[in-house]
Amino acid sequence: MDASVNNAAFSQAALAHIDALYGYAMTLTRNATEAEDLVQETYLRATGAANQPQLNGNLKAWLFVIMRNAWLNQVRHDQSGPRFVELELNEQTDDARGNPHVVYLRKLEREQVRAAIEKLPEAYREIVVLRDFEDLSYQEIAMVLDCPAGTVMSRLGRARAKLRESLSTWQSKSRARAV
Amino acid sequence: MAEQEPCACGLILRMKNCEDIRRRLNLYLDNELLGEDRVAVETHLRECQSCAVIFEREQSFINAIRECRPLHVASPVLRARVQETLSGSERETTTARKVSRSRLTWGLAIAATLLLLLLPIVIWRTMSRSDKPTASSFALMAADHHLRRTRGQLPLEVETAAPQVISDWFANKVNFSVKLPNYQESSGQERLYELEGARLVGYKDDYAAYVAYLMKQRPISLVITSDSVVKPSGGEEIVARGLKFHYNAIHGLKVLTWSDRGLTYALVSDLEERGQQSCIVCHQGTKDQDLIAPLKPR
Repeated sequence: MDASVNNAAFSQAALAHIDALYGYAMTLTRNATEAEDLVQETYLRATGAANQPQLNGNLKAWLFVIMRNAWLNQVRHDQSGPRFVELELNEQTDDARGNPHVVYLRKLEREQVRAAIEKLPEAYREIVVLRDFEDLSYQEIAMVLDCPAGTVMSRLGRARAKLRESLSTWQSKSRARAV
Repeated sequence: MAEQEPCACGLILRMKNCEDIRRRLNLYLDNELLGEDRVAVETHLRECQSCAVIFEREQSFINAIRECRPLHVASPVLRARVQETLSGSERETTTARKVSRSRLTWGLAIAATLLLLLLPIVIWRTMSRSDKPTASSFALMAADHHLRRTRGQLPLEVETAAPQVISDWFANKVNFSVKLPNYQESSGQERLYELEGARLVGYKDDYAAYVAYLMKQRPISLVITSDSVVKPSGGEEIVARGLKFHYNAIHGLKVLTWSDRGLTYALVSDLEERGQQSCIVCHQGTKDQDLIAPLKPR
């Protein structure tokens, strides 16, 4: 296959993961501007990388690895410490075209879940995003986080338990307010 | 993680199975179980109501999280920026490949031209080298020590004009016999040179004998080792009285190397022509003229 065709195909395949990468970047940076820069940086590194994976291979996990490494490098050079910025909760999705009442309830529920995720410790938040939002397998997550698959399994279990606990508290409070 | 709730199955063995299954519910929901493991969970969930309830609760919880997808969406501005990055990279790669291909073509052309131009020079140099082979390491070592001697950087370990003293001094220091002739004394001729002394010098992890002479205030060095250590080689070959001499000009010095009766010699000086005059340190009698004469340049 011609090299230029390969490049175009790679660009197209890589671009398909932009939302996932932005979501992960938001999880890491918790800042929209920094997340956008991180996404841009990730694509720059990916296009310049000599070891690009096959398009039918694990391109998404590979891009996530690049992003995480880029972020870690950035953090090492920037000693300003972790930053906490509110997640953007006003994004429009396809649900906005549905029943207004259902849309409202689902949006409310989504905001609850998002808020609960936001409160998770960083390592838990990251693993929940990679598994439940980005559908990466345990092995792929292990590759991104550079840790054993067993660690992924146990950390994910603890993260979900923490998230469930947080949501249960919120639901209890909501029920109490309703009564 | 599945909550640890009491199992309603009753039997102890079954209880153990329920614990195992509940521990694996997350793996099952995350599609990490395959084959028999997956079938075992599904079979158990069909048979065990208690575990099925926990499973449904866990599944609802994970679904609630996953229904929030996407958590974030890249803005059109970011998408445009990334597209620009990707297309820019494509252009650069294509251009780089074209340039690379072009450079390769030009590079090959230049290389071919240079090869054609340089080939005669390389052949000439190779032939020149075959005419004048490079000096041997022994000749180079001898010339180096001679230079150090002239600079005052090579003190003698034994200073004497008596050849026998020097021969005796080397007796237990090197594994070959150093016998220096004394033609001047025996012939009663004018003293053409002076014996200054000697020392050991290192060569190939062993010692060689270094003997210093002076002829009309011009130093001459004679270095001797066993021919089992080194055989003379390189330089211009001159045959005289059945011996093959190798002549080299090194740093302006004249170096003659040869082997005779189990020893290899190097004679270094800055004397005229090929330094053949230095041979008189051992061969100054008229009967030795047939040895020295062929060493003169023709």
